Amino acid sequence: MDDDRFDDLIRNLPDDFKVPDPPLEEMWQVIENAHFNSRTASTSRVWTQSTPWLAAAAALLIGIGIGRYTPTRNAGPTPDSASGSASGSASGSRPPAPSTQLPFYDTSAVADAYRDQTNQYLGQAAALLISLPAKAGTQQADATFANKASDLLVTTRLLIDSPAATQDPKLRSLLEDLELVLVQIARLRGERNKGDLDLIHQAVEQGDVISRLNSAVATTQSSE
Amino acid sequence: MNERQLIARVIAGDRLAGRALYDTHAPRVYSLAYRLSGDAEKAREFTQDTFIRAFSRLAQFRGDAAFSTWLHRITVTVVSNARRSEVRIAREVTLDEAHSIEAAPEAEPDLKESIARAVEELSEAYRATLIMHDIEGYTHAEIAEILGVPEGTCKSRLSAARAQLREALAAFKE
Repeated sequence: MDDDRFDDLIRNLPDDFKVPDPPLEEMWQVIENAHFNSRTASTSRVWTQSTPWLAAAAALLIGIGIGRYTPTRNAGPTPDSASGSASGSASGSRPPAPSTQLPFYDTSAVADAYRDQTNQYLGQAAALLISLPAKAGTQQADATFANKASDLLVTTRLLIDSPAATQDPKLRSLLEDLELVLVQIARLRGERNKGDLDLIHQAVEQGDVISRLNSAVATTQSSE
Repeated sequence: MNERQLIARVIAGDRLAGRALYDTHAPRVYSLAYRLSGDAEKAREFTQDTFIRAFSRLAQFRGDAAFSTWLHRITVTVVSNARRSEVRIAREVTLDEAHSIEAAPEAEPDLKESIARAVEELSEAYRATLIMHDIEGYTHAEIAEILGVPEGTCKSRLSAARAQLREALAAFKE
């Protein structure tokens, strides 16, 4: 075989090894099931394993907050008797809460507790974003921001699944955007890259995160 | 939204961002997997495996190389690992059945079949280099980064692979 013939053959190799159309949807189903559908459990496992004390502390803080705002019913009727008795509500006492939702607690107090925790968290997040420098600082300074972001990330994830967020789509959307920004800030610790801060600032600006944060703080304060 | 933001979203568990990354890269990954394996069903499995591994290790992606390079490196590793175990099994089968199999009468193969066979018979490193360069169109720099070898090694592998291919096809005059 001469050179020209061999060169032709090499040039035509892509045609000789034609690729069939990829079954994109079929493959995605498998990938989605394997990664995302089993992710809820695995993600919480990952972050609670990597920062177990942090997760415990955040859960405890929110729990304590809820506990402080939640009066227990010492002499009240049991949920079963309350829901089963028409005379109980007719006698002027508070109507019974739906039996599936926190039957022993005052739900409005629980909402207050979540609102208070959310408010505190939003303030901290706003402070972090406002103090984020425009240019990369020392590695130590980056690590301080990254640590703070990691702390807030734990609370963000707890709040996303809390009643405060599930009942308020605006707040949920804000928390989800914050989660993305905080993930990026938390990664400053591992890979300090010149463009990273620019991208974080871009994400904050594009999502209008700071003004949404301020407005969320104002809303929660005014409803207190 | 740029790729870095998409990656951050996938790490945070956003499946739409995962789908966007997948849509961008899956056709090329599948093409590479198909050409390295020569089999559509295997290419499907290798592509799935590549993305499942990539998504689960996304937090380790440091952005030193392009995301596509990182992804294609995973693809090559997935395919190579699978081929190594296939070769091991094939060897065991060949040894076990050596006495019971009679040699089939050799038919005159056509050029396409001969090329496919000659490419298949190249060593793993030569084969991957030839396929990525001459069939998939990667540059030497890209191949070097994906395979983790110097660019010079990549060029010499391609040259050796072509020489072996040429020798294997010497019987074809036209």
